Amino acid sequence: MENKDPPNGESAHHHQLTKKPRLTRFITESEIREEFAHHQSGIARINNGSFGSCPGSVLAAQRKWQLKFLQQPDDFYFNTLRKGILHSRTLVKDLINADDVDEVSLVDNATTAAAIVLQQIGRSFADGKFHENDAVLMLHCAYEAVKKSMQAYVTRTGGSVIEVQLPFPVNSDEEIIAEFRKGLEKGKASGRKVRLAIIDHITSMPCVVTPVRELVKICREEGVDQVFVDAAHALGSVKVDVKEIGADFYASNLHKWFFCPPSVAFLYCKKTSSSSDVHHPVVSHEYGNGLPIESAWIGTRDYSSQLVVPSALEFVNRFEGGLDGIMNRNHEKIVEVGKMLAESWGTNLGAPPEMCAGMIMVSLPSRLRVMSQDDALRLRSHLRSNYGVEVPIHYQAPRKNGEAAVKDKDGFIMAYARISHQVYNTFEDYCKLRDAIYQLLDDPQISKKLFAE
Amino acid sequence: MATHNLQNHTLNGDHCDSTVPSSKKPKLSSPATTTTTIISHSQIQSEFSHHDLSIARINNGSFGSCPQSVISAQKQWQLQFLCQPDHFYYNQLKPGILHSRSIVKSLINADHVDEVSLVDNATTAAAIVLQKSARSFYEGRYDKGDVAVMLHYAYGSVKKSVEAYVTRAGGRVIEVQLPFPVKSKEEIIAKFRKALEKGKENGKKVRLAVIDHVTSMPSVVIPIKELVKICREEGVDQVFVDAAHGIGCVDVDMKEIGPDFYTSNLYKWFFCPPSVAFLYSRKSSGQDNNDDLHHPVVSHEYGNGLAVESSWIGNRDYSAQLVVPSVLEFINKFPGGIEGIKKRNHEAVVEMGEMLVKEWGTHLGCPPEMCGSMVMVGLPVCLGIYSESDALKLRTHLRNNFGVEVPIYFRAPKDGEVDPVTGYARISHQVYNKVDDYYKFRDAINKIVSDGTTCACLPN
Repeated sequence: MENKDPPNGESAHHHQLTKKPRLTRFITESEIREEFAHHQSGIARINNGSFGSCPGSVLAAQRKWQLKFLQQPDDFYFNTLRKGILHSRTLVKDLINADDVDEVSLVDNATTAAAIVLQQIGRSFADGKFHENDAVLMLHCAYEAVKKSMQAYVTRTGGSVIEVQLPFPVNSDEEIIAEFRKGLEKGKASGRKVRLAIIDHITSMPCVVTPVRELVKICREEGVDQVFVDAAHALGSVKVDVKEIGADFYASNLHKWFFCPPSVAFLYCKKTSSSSDVHHPVVSHEYGNGLPIESAWIGTRDYSSQLVVPSALEFVNRFEGGLDGIMNRNHEKIVEVGKMLAESWGTNLGAPPEMCAGMIMVSLPSRLRVMSQDDALRLRSHLRSNYGVEVPIHYQAPRKNGEAAVKDKDGFIMAYARISHQVYNTFEDYCKLRDAIYQLLDDPQISKKLFAE
Repeated sequence: MATHNLQNHTLNGDHCDSTVPSSKKPKLSSPATTTTTIISHSQIQSEFSHHDLSIARINNGSFGSCPQSVISAQKQWQLQFLCQPDHFYYNQLKPGILHSRSIVKSLINADHVDEVSLVDNATTAAAIVLQKSARSFYEGRYDKGDVAVMLHYAYGSVKKSVEAYVTRAGGRVIEVQLPFPVKSKEEIIAKFRKALEKGKENGKKVRLAVIDHVTSMPSVVIPIKELVKICREEGVDQVFVDAAHGIGCVDVDMKEIGPDFYTSNLYKWFFCPPSVAFLYSRKSSGQDNNDDLHHPVVSHEYGNGLAVESSWIGNRDYSAQLVVPSVLEFINKFPGGIEGIKKRNHEAVVEMGEMLVKEWGTHLGCPPEMCGSMVMVGLPVCLGIYSESDALKLRTHLRNNFGVEVPIYFRAPKDGEVDPVTGYARISHQVYNKVDDYYKFRDAINKIVSDGTTCACLPN
């Protein structure tokens, strides 16, 4: 069993991921409850997607690292920090099947990773390496931070942004692939080059697992320069094999589904000639030593969340089947409760089970009359404050193309709840949501109360 | 006592409610004046009891220090987030950050809280300012060959940042050679004027001056007010003051100093945990307006002003930015508050510095009035410090074999100098230091000297 104390001057031992932990038994239900005892009781916490979760034992490990720094920061900086970060990066490299630890950098979050990749693109436009109006492609439902990053680094430097519509509700991978091909054609119109395609592995809102391997393949076939997979939710949700996926850049948070504290993410950069021009925007004396080294020192700050990756892995390996076991069970459970809710409300799922991981979109009864994103946010706040349920709500504008829109018995469906399942959830969490919606439906004044201007 | 909190292994049973910690508004200008509210010596010891007590910690300049009560407040904030992160994000985070920014605004005499952003550290602040300059070059507002002026002793990271953003975008960089040891601020002012002249050669404009308020290595307090004035007189577009060591170490008054941009860390001399700094950006209606400042990590807040952009750069731990009110509470337990702490630190470090140079027959790197809470102390020549590598070896030797933590600076000899002092220790004084710390350092050097050890003998 790995020593829980942070290594101090010891060489980083290669941690065998598939080695069975030397436990006599797996973690028990009551131990899991204890690990997450700091979660607010009385809240049905079914939004693991937004901010993730971190068990008590990893938090304890984090505090040890923090204390070590505070005790003697110079010694920490000179003798402890780099080794610790290298150890974390090595574990990540193995988890994602990267060839070389030099391809793995740790950054704060996927938002930072996106800025790093897009700044590189921006520099190429500014330097004249790319032509004005060359294209960068992204999904129309890309995370808002990524969209703004495109504005800041691509549009501002003369690039054009092409949005690919993600069909939703969606029924199959083929629907996504078809739209993507359309988007690519648009990108290449007028002889433009598509310099970068940003593909979500798991979109945020609405939440769908995309056929990312096929999409990357299509990008290669169609001559897209580089592909960046924004996989904010991936690690701990779906299998991550960066070689198999084949993207140039791949980023995932570790604080969402991999039990790290806020916040830490990895950015994988496949070794190619252009990967040497990727830089962390906060330049330190390590500038020019490669992104992993640059990211490992961006000035004095608390690096402890990057240092607890070994502890997070230890935690994961206390579960039957390790990370795979957790992912499979989360998926099975979320599909089960998703179907239960859809049946209870007379609604439907936004995507088929095979296009979901640990989260699923369940449409809400049309009678709730959610007619805008503002309404969705108000409903979310209302559920939090009055029912103790934390769940993000997505407003899906009705399709304009004349296709049959999704309906329930009372009208057009325009709102979905993105429910999640993580190891700390219980069936009661979802019953709570189910019943809260029942109560809202029973209230004749509901629209007025919730959505009155 | 706050100490035991760090030993808790889980957050079991920790109370998780919806109120934020320490929301009582602390008074800025009413530090402890009566004996009942003044922090005692043993309380100070207790506040820093997590420091490795076997070490004479005289390097507050590199990584700062943070008292237990602030660490505890930080944990409260962290717990609030972990407990119910959505509620925290929607209801607690923004007001908390605004509160911290308001306190900083008052501390630094800024006009408007919009001028104050919180970022991780001065390194980040430098990247933000320099990226703006880079955009101006790329977008044609500055001509290729226009100049950025910085001090030769600028912090290594800042130099690299200038390279990454200014040089790469086509700007020319001029370094101001500063003398060291330095005898008076006039020496610095004269060199600075020369550098500005050079910058304006061939009809080029000096677009940016990056000036340290307190240089890092070697550490000297720069006559910043005078230099900013000269910049204005000489038509320098923008002045960025890198005051990594500013707040809590020297006087920080935006209206007095008058820069366009000013950054200072809060975890070095202002008792915040790692890490947090502020970046002040003067509201101007001029042509080269300061509105084009952006945090490089772009979030959905892009375009809402730097302060708002910096308050959300994706999911992360913002607790170090949220404890500024708790820090102010801590500081106000000291007589004279932050002013009193600064004054006493300065007096103590000068006294200790003079004790050491007298002991070793060397000299201080600058006169006392050019020091804040740190001073450069000349080391005995017989130590044989002939390179930066030697300086690092000596520092390591002092840490590992004598329990003394102090950064060593190598000063290359100039032509014609005979037996010059080539090594200086940058000693610091903060509220947790004792006279014994400096005696320990004195005795360590004396032992090394009497043993005949030189840097050449030390391992790499």
